[in-house]
This record gives sequence, structure tokens and C-alpha cells, in this order.
Amino acid sequence: MIQAQELTKRYGSITALDKVSFDVAQGEIVGFLGPNGAGKTTAMRILTGYSPATEGTARIAGYDVAQDPIEVKRRVGYLPESVPLYGEMVVRHFLRYVSEIKGVPRHGLQAEADRVMSLCGLEHMGGRIIKNLSKGYRQRVGLAQSLIGNPPVLILDEPTVGLDPSQIIEIRQMIRELAHNHTVLLSTHILPEVSMLCQRVLIIHNGRLVAQDTMENLVGPEDGVVRLEVDARGPRDKVESLLSELDGVQRVKLDGAGPSFVVEAAADSDIQPRIAHAVVQAGYRLCGLRERARTLEDIFVDAISVDEGVQV
Amino acid sequence: MRSIWAVCKREFISYFTTPVGFVIVGVYALLSGLYFTGSFIIYARITQNPSSYGYDAIPEMEEWMLSPFLVLCGQLLMFIGPLVTMRLLSEERNKGTMELLLTHPLRDREIIFGKYLASLGTLLVLMLIVGFHLIIIGSFTPIEPVVLAFGLVTVFLMGAAFFSMGLFISALANNQVTAGTMTFGIALVSWILGLMGQDLPEAIPAPDTWPAGLVRAAEMVYAIFRELVVSLPLDAHAHELAEGIIYPHDIVYYLLFTSFFLFLTFRTLESRKWRA
Repeated sequence: MIQAQELTKRYGSITALDKVSFDVAQGEIVGFLGPNGAGKTTAMRILTGYSPATEGTARIAGYDVAQDPIEVKRRVGYLPESVPLYGEMVVRHFLRYVSEIKGVPRHGLQAEADRVMSLCGLEHMGGRIIKNLSKGYRQRVGLAQSLIGNPPVLILDEPTVGLDPSQIIEIRQMIRELAHNHTVLLSTHILPEVSMLCQRVLIIHNGRLVAQDTMENLVGPEDGVVRLEVDARGPRDKVESLLSELDGVQRVKLDGAGPSFVVEAAADSDIQPRIAHAVVQAGYRLCGLRERARTLEDIFVDAISVDEGVQV
Repeated sequence: MRSIWAVCKREFISYFTTPVGFVIVGVYALLSGLYFTGSFIIYARITQNPSSYGYDAIPEMEEWMLSPFLVLCGQLLMFIGPLVTMRLLSEERNKGTMELLLTHPLRDREIIFGKYLASLGTLLVLMLIVGFHLIIIGSFTPIEPVVLAFGLVTVFLMGAAFFSMGLFISALANNQVTAGTMTFGIALVSWILGLMGQDLPEAIPAPDTWPAGLVRAAEMVYAIFRELVVSLPLDAHAHELAEGIIYPHDIVYYLLFTSFFLFLTFRTLESRKWRA
């Protein structure tokens, strides 16, 4: 449904997007993951026809974005990061207006506005002036405008940014329901959001696509590697060097700012009892030792550090 | 066509869902009404006793009152017009709603014509005010209705031309204050040039000491400068049209002016494709 081939975008000497290629199949929810400034919004703007690519091609539903922008725009619902709304308009009138410019038949304008209001839980907000709505409701109105005309492809740029926790849950639930009938490309830098919503992830960093796979493949166990969370209390550098020197240990790193270490070792090295023994033998306290599944955070950090050539 | 109408309708309504539209109409009605009332009263007195005002006979209504009133109505549009046009495209860009327009199935020309027609809609509202004054003139004088109608068309053409330039400046600027200030500045310069043009001599004699070639060059430069100052200002073409004297070049001037700035606006909006 979405095909991007070597998309490149340059602003003068700055390369915002560097030969990014990916496909999104019909009915998939794909997460576009990356830190701020990675190039997610740039890629989405190219796909929606807002801004042209410097090089490369993009096709949506078989139409080339550069050659047939109008056909592409008829088939895409786009929610930009900063939701563009006319504050002085009433919600219902705004949605009718969007229906008109989206090409909804004249006799169906009100029905379409009512349909998307119902989908987004805005039934009681139709008569409200947009600028008086809370941020959560404005986000819903933005989402509702992207659903006008029932486009097969939805491109959502940071749909939950700036919302409070309950609003985030509501919007995520809404996106999950929309995914039954739409192909969704969702950009975010909130990792749990991707885990919760997406079947596949594209990780973008410094304008380059550094990883893409299904959630199962990305989060699943790596061949022959076990990850352990070791909570050993003692001088950090000494504990770290003690763990690193054990046979079979491939990598030791601090787990954030906390006292725990993450140890990666060969799966067949029977490392757990040897870690326990070594820590206790060295006179340090062992407060926890458990196997840890690979999280999206790990994958993300790994992908970015590989891209930067940094060992984390 | 439907998309143009949709953009136009939203834009036109937005003038009157905020105080802006009412301020524009109110100020225009006030200023044009004050001038009209003043000159109408004076003209009525002149007709009763022309000699006390220095006239041998009653002056022509078209020349004495109608034309200056219509030209003033056009000039007022040049100073109130920035309020109408400054928001057209710059506000969309400033608020981020341009992203909404450009990611929906709208062609650039549909956005531009929709916006421009909305500004012309506001211009038509202002023309109702001018039209009201012309009806008063028509009911008290024997002036042909067609002359009055043509006067109204003249002011409309002048406003339409000026609004096309305002739309272009709005496409260039990132916020409406900048757009409004630039449009107002150009209106002011145009008006001052128009005043200058009335007093510029046909030619300025060059000093005798200059060589013949230099004199010819100086005369040519002056002639071009004078032609620009005399012909370019929008109101320079309105005086005779407003009296019902129709020269095709005056009408062509307004149509070309409008087309030129609409074309520039189109190119400016399109430039995002190769600039971004």
C-alpha cells in the first residue's frame, strides 16, 4: 500500500532523509520510530505530498506521490504533529469543510462529518468552537479530519504527543480500532506506544533507516544470547569488571542510572549460577538475578548506537 | 470548482466570525460616508449660488463630485485592503493550516482562486456601501444610471487589482502583520507617486553643458520615470473611468495588473516544490 524507494531529502547541505526505503502492506500498522529530528516528519510530509523528495520515489495505493499527488491525497488521511485546525470554526463546520475539500459528495457532507465524529467520540462536541476545546479533544478533531472520506491509508505523526495519560490511552484505543480497516503508518518516539500498537517497526536515525522488522522478530530472543538483569551492590566499576571477566559473558552494561547491570552472555554458558557465585565470593550483596526479555528500548538503543558506531 | 467554492466560503465566513470583517466594513462606511456627505452638502450649496464659491456656472456633477468620490472610494480600498488580504495565505502558514490544505486533494490554483474570491466577496460587501451612495446621487441628479454603474465597476476593478497584489504579498510573508505592513507600505508609495505624477512636467531641460548623447539619455530616463509615475499607480486609471469615459487601456491595465499578481501568487505557492 505504501512504497518508499530511496527517499532522500536535502535542505541545502543538510540531509534530513538519506535513501530511506520501506514498504507497508495493506492492513498493517507500522511504527515509525526515531528520536526527535530523526527525519520521521520529513518522510511523512513526502508521503502525503506536502513536500517533495529531493531524490527517490514514493507510491501510495499504486499512485506516485510526485506524479499523481491529487490521487494520493484522496487516499491518505494525515494527522500532522501540530494539529492544524481553524480555531474560530465550530467542530461540525470544520469537518464539513474538510469533507468538501476531500471531495465527499455534496449530499453526504453532514453524514460524513457525523460518521467521523462518532468514530472519534465527538458526538457531543459538534457545536463547540474548536479553540475552546481541550488539547485531547482538539487531537480527536485532528484525527477525525484525517478519517474524512474513509481513506485506505492513515499517516499519523506523533498522535499522542502532549496529551495526558488518560487521553493517550483513549487515542491509542481509537488507533487500534481504526487499524481494522486502514493501513496505518504511525510516527512516535514513545517506545511503548509502538509495542502496543504496531505489527512492524521502522527505526530511523539521522535520516537513515537503521532497522525494520516485525515486533516479534525484533523483540524475540537473539540467537544464542541470554540477557540477565543483575542487581549486585558494590563499587560499580569493580562489579562491572568482575562480571565482564566471567567466561561466556559478551557484554555488561549499566541498566540506566539504577544499581542493576544488564549482562549478555552465551545461552549455553550456564551463566546464572556462576554470576551468583562470583558476586557473593567477591563479598558484594546480590539483591536480584533474573532473565530479561529484549525490549524495544534495547533494540532502539542498539540500532542507534550501531548507526553512530558507538558501543553502549 | 467545488473546492474553490469550499475554500472561498470558509475564508469569507471567517471574516465575519471575527471582528475583522465588521471593522473593515465599518471603517469603510464611515470614511466614505463622511466624504460623501461633506461633498454632497457643499455641491448642493454650489448649485444654489455658484458665484459665491467662485464658479460662473454650476459645475458638472460627474466631474466635481462623482469622480472624486469614486476615486476616493478606490483609494480607501488601498488603505483598508491590507486588512482584507494580509491574512489570506500568511495566516494559513502561520497557524500551520497550510499543511492541512496542501495535504488534501486541492490544486494550488484552487487554493489561490478560493482565497482571492473570498477577498472579492468582502469587496462586494464594500461595494454595497459605494452603491448605496451612488443610488443617492442617482435619485437627486440626472446622471445616467449606466454612468453610475460604471463608476461602481471602476472602484471594484481597482479594489480587485489591489487585492490581487495583497494576496501575493500574503503568499510571501510568514505572518499577517508583515503582510499587512508591506501591502500598506506599497499602497502608500503608490498613492504618493500618484500625487507626484500630477505635477511632473513633460520634460526637464538638461544643462547646456551636457553632451548631446547624455542629454538624449537623460531625457529618455526621465520619460520612462515619468511614464511609470503617471501610469503605474492604481488610482491613476480611475479618474476618467469614474466619470463614465471609457478607455480600453484603463480596463486592460486593471485586468493585467490582477492577472500578473495572481500569476505571481501561483508561482510563489508552487515554489515550495523546488525551494523546500
